[in-house]
Amino acid sequence: MKLFVSGRPAWVSIGLTLAGTALFALLPLWLSPYGVRVGQLFVLAAGLAVAWTVLGGFSGYWSFGNAAFVGTGAFTAALLQLALPGWPAGSAFALALVVAMLFNGLLALAIAWPILRLRGIYFAIAMLGVSQVCFELVSNIDALRGALGVNLIDIVPKGVRPERFYYWALLLATLIVVLVAIMVRHSKLGYGLLAIREDEDTARMLGVPTTRYKMIAFVISAMLTAMMGVIYAHNLGYITANSVYRGDFNLNVIVYSLLGGMGTIIGPIVGAGIMTYVTQVLLGDLLDTHMFITGLLIAVLVLAAPNGLYGIYDNHRLRMRRRKQEAQR
Amino acid sequence: MSAQSILSVRGVSRSFRGLKAVNEVSFEVPRGSICSLIGPNGAGKSTFFNLVTGYFAPDSGTITFEGRDITGFSPVQVAHLGVARAFQIAKPFPGMSVTENVRIGALFGRAGPRDVDAVTTQALELAGLAALHDREARELTVGQLRRLEVARALAARPSLLLADEPCAGLNPTETAEMVTILRRIRDAGATIVLVEHDMPAVMQISDTVLVLEAGSLIAQGKPEEIARDPRVIAAYLGTDE
Amino acid sequence: MTLQTLVDGLVLGGLFSLAAVGFSLLFGVLGVVNLAHGAFVLIGGYAAWTLLDRFGIDPLLALPLIMLGMFCLGYAFQRTVIQWATKRASLLASMLLTFGFALMIRNALVLVYSPDFKSVTPSYAFDSLSFGEVTVGLTRVAALLVSVVLLALLAAMLRFTSLGRTIRATAQQEQAAALCGVNIRHVFALTAGVSAAFAGAAGVAIGLVMPFSPPDETLWTINAFVVVTLGGIGSPAGALVGGLILGVINTMTAELVGAAFPNAMMFLLLVLMLVVRPAGLLGNSFKGSR
Repeated sequence: MKLFVSGRPAWVSIGLTLAGTALFALLPLWLSPYGVRVGQLFVLAAGLAVAWTVLGGFSGYWSFGNAAFVGTGAFTAALLQLALPGWPAGSAFALALVVAMLFNGLLALAIAWPILRLRGIYFAIAMLGVSQVCFELVSNIDALRGALGVNLIDIVPKGVRPERFYYWALLLATLIVVLVAIMVRHSKLGYGLLAIREDEDTARMLGVPTTRYKMIAFVISAMLTAMMGVIYAHNLGYITANSVYRGDFNLNVIVYSLLGGMGTIIGPIVGAGIMTYVTQVLLGDLLDTHMFITGLLIAVLVLAAPNGLYGIYDNHRLRMRRRKQEAQR
Repeated sequence: MSAQSILSVRGVSRSFRGLKAVNEVSFEVPRGSICSLIGPNGAGKSTFFNLVTGYFAPDSGTITFEGRDITGFSPVQVAHLGVARAFQIAKPFPGMSVTENVRIGALFGRAGPRDVDAVTTQALELAGLAALHDREARELTVGQLRRLEVARALAARPSLLLADEPCAGLNPTETAEMVTILRRIRDAGATIVLVEHDMPAVMQISDTVLVLEAGSLIAQGKPEEIARDPRVIAAYLGTDE
Repeated sequence: MTLQTLVDGLVLGGLFSLAAVGFSLLFGVLGVVNLAHGAFVLIGGYAAWTLLDRFGIDPLLALPLIMLGMFCLGYAFQRTVIQWATKRASLLASMLLTFGFALMIRNALVLVYSPDFKSVTPSYAFDSLSFGEVTVGLTRVAALLVSVVLLALLAAMLRFTSLGRTIRATAQQEQAAALCGVNIRHVFALTAGVSAAFAGAAGVAIGLVMPFSPPDETLWTINAFVVVTLGGIGSPAGALVGGLILGVINTMTAELVGAAFPNAMMFLLLVLMLVVRPAGLLGNSFKGSR
C-alpha cells in the first residue's frame, strides 16, 4: 500500500514543517520568560487547532466540543498518576500519556457511530453537548475530583527552566500533530475526507467508505487533542474541571481555522499565531474587554472574510489567472 | 449470447405506488458497445438506471453484470464491481481542482494504488481536460463540468459506464466533443449505456438503440432500423418535439 | 417524587418554554441557530432589574416595554448582521457569528452590571400561595402566568393573524412566498424581532424567580436548544412540551440524583435526543421532520 497517494508533494510539506519546528525550537534562547509563555500559548493553540482540523477542516464536520478531549485527556492522565504513587516521573508521565490517548480514542469510537450520522449544526451542537456532559460529570462526581482538583507529577528535568521545557514539550506534541495531519491529508483517507466535505452523497457514490473514514478521522482528532491536553495539564501542574474543559477551547480552534484558512493545515497555525499575538500581546492589558474583543473579531471575520486569509489569497490567485488568460486571448 | 454481453436484464419490473415505471423489460448489452436508451419523458429511463446501479431494487426479474447476479446489490457494491455512473446534473467537488476531482474517482475505483496517477492522467486526456487540469471545478463551464463528470466516472476504471444525458444543455460544438469522448471511451475498452435526448448524437454513436415507452421496451435495434420503425416514430419521434 | 417537585418543575418548565420559543421560531423559519439567544434573554432580565431598581417600575408593567425594545433589537440584528452572514457565508459560519455576539453581550453586561448575581425583587417577592401541602411563591405564579399567556398569544398570532400566516408560508416555501409578493427580508426580520421580544420577556420572568449573572447566557442558549430538540422546531406547542419536560426532569434529577446533576442530565438529554430524533418529539412544524 502506497502511503501518499496525492500528486502534491507531501515530502515538501513535511520538510517545511521540520524546518519550521527547528526554527521555533531555537526561539526560547532569545525570548524573555514572558515571551516564552506567550510562545507556549501559541504552540498549544496551533496543536489543538490542527488536531481539530483532521476532522473539522478536512471532512467539514465542525465539532463545537473538542474541549471534551482536552479535559478528559488531562483528567485521565492526572487520575492515573494519582493511582500510581511512587512511580518514577518519566514512566508515570509516559504511561499516563499513552493511556489518556487510548482512552480518548475509545471514547471517540464509542460515540462516533451515533453522533457522526448527524450533519452540520446538529453534529456541532451534539459535540458541544458531549463536552458539557464530560465537564459536568467530572465536576460533580467526587471520585473524579473535578471540583477539588488534582496535582500532576513534576516532569521538568533538573537544570531546565520550566517555561522552556514546556514550550519544547508542547512544540514536540504539535509537531507530531502536524505530521499526522499531513499524512492524513496526503493519504487516501485524506482525499476521502475532502470528498465528504465537498459532497458526502456523491463521495459515497464514488465508493468512498464515508462512515468508516469519518470515524477514523474523529478518533485520530480525539487522540491528538488528548495528547495536547495531557501536556497542557502538566504545564498547569494543578488542574480542575474548569481549567481544562474550557469553553474557549471549543470555540477558538474553529476561529483559528476560519481565520487562517479552513481545511488547510497551515491555516489554523497562522490563525493561532495571529489570534495569540492579538489577544496576548496587543491586547494583553485589556483583560476586562478580552471576551468582547474576541467576539468582535469573530464577527468581523465571518462578515468580512468568511473564508479566512487563505480565501482572500485564493480569490486573488483565481483573479490573477483569469486576467492572464484574458490577456493571452 | 450472454458470453459476449456485459449486462443482461431479464424480465425486470418496478412500480411506484401501483404505477409500473419499468415493466417486464429484457435486453442484453454486448461488451464493448455503445447502447442508447431513448424514450419520451417518464418512459422509465432514469428508473432503469437507478435499478442497475442499485438505488432501487426491482420488484421482479434479474440483472446480471459480467455473468454475476447483481439484483438487489447496494450502490456501493455495484460501483465496486465496475459500474460507474455519470449524472446529468454534474456534481463535481467545487472546491477541488479538476485533477483532484478525477483523482478521487481513481483512488476509490478499481485502479491499484500505484496506478492512480496514470489512470488520472489517462481519464483527463480521454475527456479532453488535460489542458484544464489545474483549474478549480467551480471555474468550469457547463460543458467542461459534464466532461469532468464523465472523466471522474471513468477514472474508477469501470467496465460499464452509465451516462445520464451527457449532451443535455450542451451547444453543438460541445455535443460533438462529447460524442468524440464517448467513442474514445468505448475504444479504450469500456461499454457505455446512454440515456439521451439528443437524437443526432444518439444516431451517430450508438451500436444499439433501445426504445422505452411507458415502462415497456417497444423496439431495439441498430440506429437506422430504429429511425425507420413505425412504432418508434409514432410513440416517440412523432410526438416529442 | 413529591407533588412539590412536580409543581416546581412545571414552573421552571414554563420559563424554559418561554426562553426557548423565540430561538425555536427563528430556527424553524430562517434555519438560523442564534447562539446569542441566551444573551438576549439576559438583556431582558437586566432591563427589568434596571427599571425596577432605578425607576421603581414593576417588572410586569415593564414587560411590554421591554418586549418592544427587544423586538426592535432583534429586527435590526437580522437586517444588518444575520442577513449579511447567511448570504455570504455558510450556516455554520453564521452560527459562529452569533456566538461572537453572545461573547460581546456577555462582556458588556459584566462591564455595566458587574459579574455578580442580580435578581428582580418587587414588593411581593416574598409572598406565596399555598395549595394544601404545595407552596408556590407569588413571583413564580406570576412567571408561570406570563409564560403561558405569552405562549398562547404567540400561537394565536401565528395561526390567526396575517403576519403569522405570512411567516408560516415563508418558512415553508421561501421562493413561492417571494413570488407572491412577500418581502422576505422584512418577514425574516419581523420573525427575528418576535424571537428577541420573547427572549426579553423570558428574561423578565426569569429575573422574578431566580438570580442571574452574565455567564448564564450560555446556559439559556443551550436550554433553548434542548427544549427544541425535545419538543420540536418552530412551534409554541413544541416549546411548551419541551420546556415542561425539561423543567420536570431538571427538578427531579436534582431531587433523585443530586443537586449538582441537572445540567449533566440536560446535556445528556440533548445528545441523546439529537441522535435519536433531531427534529424533536413534535417534529419541525414548518419543514416536516427529516
